[in-house]
Amino acid sequence: MTTTPITTTPTPPSSSTEMVTVTIDGKTQQFPKGTVLLEACNQMGAGVPFFCYHPGLTSPAVCRQCLVDVKGQPKPVPSCYTPVADKMEVMTKSPRALDVRRQMLEFTLVNHPIDCPICDKAGECLLQKHYFDWDAKLARNDGIKIKKAKVVDIGPRIVLDQERCILCTRCIRVCDEVAKTHQLEMADRGDHEILTTAPGHKLDNPYSLNTVDVCPVGALTSKDFRFEMRVWELYTTPSICPGCATGCNIEVHHSRGKIQRLVPRQNDQVNEHWMCDEGRLTYKRVHAERLAAPMSGGAPVDWDEALDDAGRVLRAALDAGSAGVGVVMNAQSTNEDLYALARLTFDHLGLGKAYLAGLDQGWSDDILVSADKNPNTAGAMAIGAGRLRTLLDLANDLKSGALHTLLVVGTHGVIGKDGAAGALPLDRLTTLVVIGTHRDEVSAAAKVALPLCEWAESDGTFTNRLGMVQRVRAAVPPAGDSLPGWEILSHLARKLGATMEFTEAKTVFAEAKQKLPFMKDAEWGRPLLPVQLRFAGSRG
Amino acid sequence: MAVGVKVVNRPGSLGQQAYLPAIAEGLGVTFRHFVKNFFGNVTGQRKKTDIATIEYPEEKKAYPERNRGLHRLMLRDDGQVRCVACMMCPTVCPAHCITIVPEEAPDGRIEKRPMIFEIDELRCVVCGLCVEACPCDAIRMDTLDHAKPTYRRGDAILDKEELMSRGVRSTAVQGGVGAFWREQVAGQPQTPASGEVVPAGAPHGPTPLRDHGHK
Repeated sequence: MTTTPITTTPTPPSSSTEMVTVTIDGKTQQFPKGTVLLEACNQMGAGVPFFCYHPGLTSPAVCRQCLVDVKGQPKPVPSCYTPVADKMEVMTKSPRALDVRRQMLEFTLVNHPIDCPICDKAGECLLQKHYFDWDAKLARNDGIKIKKAKVVDIGPRIVLDQERCILCTRCIRVCDEVAKTHQLEMADRGDHEILTTAPGHKLDNPYSLNTVDVCPVGALTSKDFRFEMRVWELYTTPSICPGCATGCNIEVHHSRGKIQRLVPRQNDQVNEHWMCDEGRLTYKRVHAERLAAPMSGGAPVDWDEALDDAGRVLRAALDAGSAGVGVVMNAQSTNEDLYALARLTFDHLGLGKAYLAGLDQGWSDDILVSADKNPNTAGAMAIGAGRLRTLLDLANDLKSGALHTLLVVGTHGVIGKDGAAGALPLDRLTTLVVIGTHRDEVSAAAKVALPLCEWAESDGTFTNRLGMVQRVRAAVPPAGDSLPGWEILSHLARKLGATMEFTEAKTVFAEAKQKLPFMKDAEWGRPLLPVQLRFAGSRG
Repeated sequence: MAVGVKVVNRPGSLGQQAYLPAIAEGLGVTFRHFVKNFFGNVTGQRKKTDIATIEYPEEKKAYPERNRGLHRLMLRDDGQVRCVACMMCPTVCPAHCITIVPEEAPDGRIEKRPMIFEIDELRCVVCGLCVEACPCDAIRMDTLDHAKPTYRRGDAILDKEELMSRGVRSTAVQGGVGAFWREQVAGQPQTPASGEVVPAGAPHGPTPLRDHGHK
């Protein structure tokens, strides 16, 4: 989560740890050799403005907005392109540096249509921010602005506004360096220069929405988010993308209990500054077709009655023979939910095995996307510790009649995308109890269905494919009456005569951390209130 | 020391001491006003009477020029709403009385417009911040009217069509088209394409409803 006005991420120490001494605005500080001067200045709080520089991309120094005075240099130098050198003396606020930066800003604004009222970027726009920080004067230019195309459909997810573009080329570099496809280009010259797609291309790479994030102005806007919401109405909560096993760090941007968009959050070990387009749409399922109330026998009931019913049917099934009772875990659940379920299944009910469900494998690449479309497969495997069986085993056990009762916690992928309902004959069961997030075939077939929180509605942790335990935070209130999985399982355990007293997700986490080796180094983190973006400064 | 007694003489004559003439005089004044106001009222010469009250709602007092009243939405030259759903007014509104749902405009040079624009006049605290925040001269409170009483709360929520029905065309610059404020010389009327004369500097001055034939 970015709370500083301008993103000044600490530069990773270069291979040589040699330090150089730099004086910036009269203050002397040591920096690792190779640090970009712009980063050094902004780490010292100089707040040097920039458009084309991005910490995750190369620096072409095309916008000339970060010019600073360096002693001994005849002209101001672009600080984003200059590495720090020993005994360098930098004046970021000398009259000359201020003057050239203001002139560059005025030059950038000459042909910019000041259509902030209809621009989705307004509120997190670097041009707006730099204008108010460094200039804030009326335009001296009454001339006619050059008209360019406004609503250009350049891809399935993105709309281009060529007038707003300030030609910083960040988006081109995102395509080249992150997505490794050259789909955007500059065309024409001078003040007629425009951003456009490369001949024969659309902006349709799987990382295309990163161009919207890095665009310092509103030239590139996301079709999904376009005109939905002004950014200052949004609140941000740091979380983890549930789209695949990579576990990209994200910010959940939400307003009035509804998620509006997901944007990447910097984590150099996982996703740097980026995330894939598919992951950005994983929030849709949080607000669609949710199971909102506990259901018993197909009718909505209150929680007490539903838990009573679930406890009764499960108890009856266990009494009839616990060998016929199966439990389905889900790789979409958090470590906390899985740990609570494992305790109930293996410790209290004494079952020897459980089945692991999850979304089907999908496409992958060697950039970010994993083939495993579940965020917590690693955690589920570690918690299951060899006692997990696959859905194929479940189908076989159902067909052979070995199971008469099933408890499903999390219904994602229990019935495959290709409609393999026949492969999973749930009608063979006498009792099906479902703790699920959505109104789907599985929860519809259940005797008792209990509404479960989605990932964005409850606190917990996911374990990504690298084994990193990362924190997921509740961003929006739960849909309807749904409760977090560990809480439902605690209630259910009590109905089954087991004692599993968890009061909050953190207590589950603390216990799991003690017992599970893979969570040994995990941190729960401090409590966090959502920050409204209008007070968080520009994300830029 | 013995307590002294000070004799205060009653004022004036026996007539003054009896108060009756003063009562009669007072009643006379009352009666004179009664006759003047009563007969003045029934003969239709109310202005000559001393009555300070007005017979609302048949009779209305003109509000001062800068009164903040019922909202209205201004129109572009082609009759479309000027509002571009920039959300400045709901952002600044301290009473959260404005609801806007934006949508993509299918045609026209300005790509965003409000699909829903509602103002809850019961919630409105008539502060006028929405008018100040509007970058498009789209919302005004210069109707010199106030929110009507309603039987149901929902009736006090004015929708886009109702707000636009009070609107007139505004000549302020929008989308790069229209008179720029520097060219608008005060007091010099401008004639937009519609032929309707709107005073120069219209964004800042009130345009009373009755001048445009609205009630």
